[in-house]
Amino acid sequence: MSKRMLALIAAVLVLAALPVVFPFTRFMLTLAIAKGFAALGVALLLRAGLISLGHAMYFGLGAYAVAFLSAKAGISDFFVGLIAAAVVSGVAGLIFGAFLVRYRAIFFAMLNLAVSMVLYSLFSKLYGLTGGTDGLRVGVPSFLGWEPARQTFEGVLFFACLILMLGAGWLGHRYLQSPMGQALSAIHTNELRLEYLGVSAWATLLSAYSVSAMLAGIGGALTAMAVGHVLPEYLYWTQSGHLVLTAVLGGFSAVAGPFIGSITLEGIHTLAVGYAAEAWNLIVGAALLGVIFFLPNGIVGLLRGRRAAKAEEVL
Amino acid sequence: MVSTLIPLFVDALANAAIIFFVAFGLTLAFSVLRVLNVAHGSLYSIGAYVAASFGLWIISAGLNPWLTFPALLLSAAFVAALFGPLIEMTLVRWTYGRGEAVQILVTFALFLILEDLQRLVFGVSSLYADTPMALLGISEIGGIIYLNYQLLLIAIAAVALFGTRLFIRHTRTGRLLAVVVADREVSEAMGINTRRIFTLAFTLGVFLAALGGAMATPTMGVAPGLGADTMVLAFAVAAIGGLGQIEGAALAAIIVALVRVLAIYYVPELDAVAPYIVMLLVLLVRPYGLFGKPPVRRI
Amino acid sequence: MRHPKILSIALAAALSVTGAAQAQDRPAELGVGVFTFTSGPAAAYGMPGRQGAELIIEQINAEGGIGGVPIVPTYVDEGQGAQGVISEYRRLAESGTVEAMIAALSSGNCLALAPVTEQLQMPTLAWNCDTHQLLLDGASSYYYRPNGNTIPEFMAYALYFLAQNPDVRRVAFINPDYSFGHDAAAIVQATLQAINPEIEIVAELFPRLGASTYQTEISRLSAARPDVIFSNLWGADLENFVRQAMPRGLFRQSTVVLALGETILQTVDVPEGTIVGVLGDGYWRSPEATEIGRAGAFAEAYRARFGEDPVFPTMKMVNAFLVLQAAYEKALADNDGAWPDSAALIAALEGLTVETMTGTITFRGDNDAPVDQIVGTVGAVEGVDHPAMTQLTRFDGSALMPPMGTDPIAWIASLSPEFFAPFLVPATAE
Repeated sequence: MSKRMLALIAAVLVLAALPVVFPFTRFMLTLAIAKGFAALGVALLLRAGLISLGHAMYFGLGAYAVAFLSAKAGISDFFVGLIAAAVVSGVAGLIFGAFLVRYRAIFFAMLNLAVSMVLYSLFSKLYGLTGGTDGLRVGVPSFLGWEPARQTFEGVLFFACLILMLGAGWLGHRYLQSPMGQALSAIHTNELRLEYLGVSAWATLLSAYSVSAMLAGIGGALTAMAVGHVLPEYLYWTQSGHLVLTAVLGGFSAVAGPFIGSITLEGIHTLAVGYAAEAWNLIVGAALLGVIFFLPNGIVGLLRGRRAAKAEEVL
Repeated sequence: MVSTLIPLFVDALANAAIIFFVAFGLTLAFSVLRVLNVAHGSLYSIGAYVAASFGLWIISAGLNPWLTFPALLLSAAFVAALFGPLIEMTLVRWTYGRGEAVQILVTFALFLILEDLQRLVFGVSSLYADTPMALLGISEIGGIIYLNYQLLLIAIAAVALFGTRLFIRHTRTGRLLAVVVADREVSEAMGINTRRIFTLAFTLGVFLAALGGAMATPTMGVAPGLGADTMVLAFAVAAIGGLGQIEGAALAAIIVALVRVLAIYYVPELDAVAPYIVMLLVLLVRPYGLFGKPPVRRI
Repeated sequence: MRHPKILSIALAAALSVTGAAQAQDRPAELGVGVFTFTSGPAAAYGMPGRQGAELIIEQINAEGGIGGVPIVPTYVDEGQGAQGVISEYRRLAESGTVEAMIAALSSGNCLALAPVTEQLQMPTLAWNCDTHQLLLDGASSYYYRPNGNTIPEFMAYALYFLAQNPDVRRVAFINPDYSFGHDAAAIVQATLQAINPEIEIVAELFPRLGASTYQTEISRLSAARPDVIFSNLWGADLENFVRQAMPRGLFRQSTVVLALGETILQTVDVPEGTIVGVLGDGYWRSPEATEIGRAGAFAEAYRARFGEDPVFPTMKMVNAFLVLQAAYEKALADNDGAWPDSAALIAALEGLTVETMTGTITFRGDNDAPVDQIVGTVGAVEGVDHPAMTQLTRFDGSALMPPMGTDPIAWIASLSPEFFAPFLVPATAE
């Protein structure tokens, strides 16, 4: 039981207590954790040195999967929605990824952008199917037949997000420690050497890519349930940029980073809306520059102190 | 049949002219600096805002309305002189040698900052500065009335394309640019001041973006959100043409514009999707664009 | 807090017939969330609404507020996108600082907010959005709309231009790409074809909201050679489209119908003969508004404050506040002066009749209150220094409302020529 473990437990307890003590933070925190999943997905790829400017599409696919189930098929179960979103976005990630992970650097970023913009335009234009820019409603989900009232549901959703976050965090941590995860960082450092060792960079990246898509999809599904509405703007390229930003802000050297980044951002947003709504993007942009210049390991790097800020510098 | 085709091409070329300037600037800066500037679209919209404000001021001050034409060029030059060196020498220079991820992030942060700065400086309501368009009058082509200004834009885009070619081939600075594009390390070893070339190329890119924005103002309303939309379109065009390929950008702009116009004429539902579908199809067949070459894999 | 406010509250409280004991359990202020566009291309339409809200709140508060309680608005910008709008709505409702909402401008945002109003049990007045989809299911119990419905609105436009131009055969649409634009196209098309099945739709364009240029669309419309071009573009999009289309001869080639045209008459020289209108009855110069007698003085105050005439979004916003005020006053009266909770406020809204500045509304069982529909033609009006609406026709909103629980488009298609005959009388010059 290290100091870090204790700190983690303390942080989770504080997080769990916040909405109980201050109910108005519940919605904000739910959204923050939901988006944290997507940022975690992006962070996985960042470890391999790949920057995706299109991951909002998987976020959007997950959200629309939940909305389609609810609006078109009348299925509004939380678990069915979540699994459907994970499967849809994971499979989409596998299909697009098979083609996309052959590219690196700018080309990877741009091709992701291209695919996401095709999806974005389709979702906004196919008015009859997707509701166009009006989006689709998402009903209040049930839990295996239990149909809570909206207020109860929001509480349940928050704790479900919290539990899922811990689960995803643990799995993500294990994944990064596994040979597969180690190979991911190796792609960034020296891809050729990795291939000489007999590890296929393509297969390593493809698996990471579909996992990251799946994480983004889960984030989208949770957001859809929390907000109660899905929109094509979920897939717009600036959203993808925000996901990368969240991951970098929090720091992607540890799985907690993207979640910390997301909660910090939503927190600042809530404050900024009241005082500096006009300058929100400016604040975020400046914060991002500050982090890139002074904290290459993000907030996580800051929390860990100098000691750990060694060779992990990916940026 | 022919009579319906002519308007289609005129529309496509008029569309292409505007997209071309932005994509040209993006691709030019990329070819020299190897940096993809995500904030490029914001410089287009800043160009549009400055030009619109300047044009409106000329009219409200009671000056000769024909002054609005040089005002378009001056606005673009002003934006380039202000932002080009400033951004290149601070943010962009810092990212050299730090990998694409950092470059994309830094310019994305810049994009966010510039978007809000525009809101704070120019407000949120739309600006209309259509005097140049009104001064030039109209022509009828294929039974449809076009603005002479639209035709002028097509001509200017063509001049800009060939002018740049001549500049690169026949001037000292132009040749230096070409040398740096061809081999950065060797040109540095030969004593070329690459820093100066970088600043110049970046500023030229900003100028082209701002010029595109300025020249578009007489035929459109300028409102927030313009930068983000233009950015992705410029990306798409630059990628189709092959990043860093100027002729590629020109051809790609025409293709994208033609497909969009065809969509508006025959399948309006697909008008927004069209450019990205083209981009995807082209990149599936030629991943590095029509004129692009795959990067050399270095050990 | 400023002194006059305190003074007026004290005065109102002292004068209040309900007595000190009850006055005490009244809140110090009545928080109201007001949703409109204050940024982006839609702000051209949203800002007149916001300014109307500022002025009417000031006027209501100067007279002692509602039941002695001053209104304190929180403005939310719809320009941030529906996700932000929903989040802000939730945040406001859950923070407990607001008791009612006036939301929203965009039909898309209203559709998105509808389930949230139910979940949070927040009394909400739709001040501008008029998509018939909003209250179609009749299940809404917290969302009330005192300002119009797309069905009578756009049927009225179709009837008006058919009355003026009975020989129309070729019709084109250019509408914004969301529910409002698509609904309007479907309604106009259904109405035209119910009257004359030979009418042909020659082009149907839905440019996205906030598009900066319409040049290609204009070429397309021009090539289609329509007799009539119908558009319900609005805000800066409308101004943009008209500015780009005028020099290219579209207004000479076809009759153009701009459903939300009144908003730009002060800023653009819309050619004479163009059919323009307001949504609903919110035209402050209409004979009925003059008869009611409040709109003129309000417009005067508005002009003094903002340097321009009010437009119909202003009047819609103002009318929404008058309805809110009437509902609170009824609830106070029904509960012996006790400050109403949301259930009491909803009970007061049920079936409420209010005389607004521009007409009279009564809520139906589905929470919709039909308003009349005013359509006119651009022309010169004495005493107005810009193009204005002439040859006004005021269509009876309730007569053009589908019965509750019917599919509106199917209802229109089922109507007989006899139904339409009384509406197809050409308007005469005033």
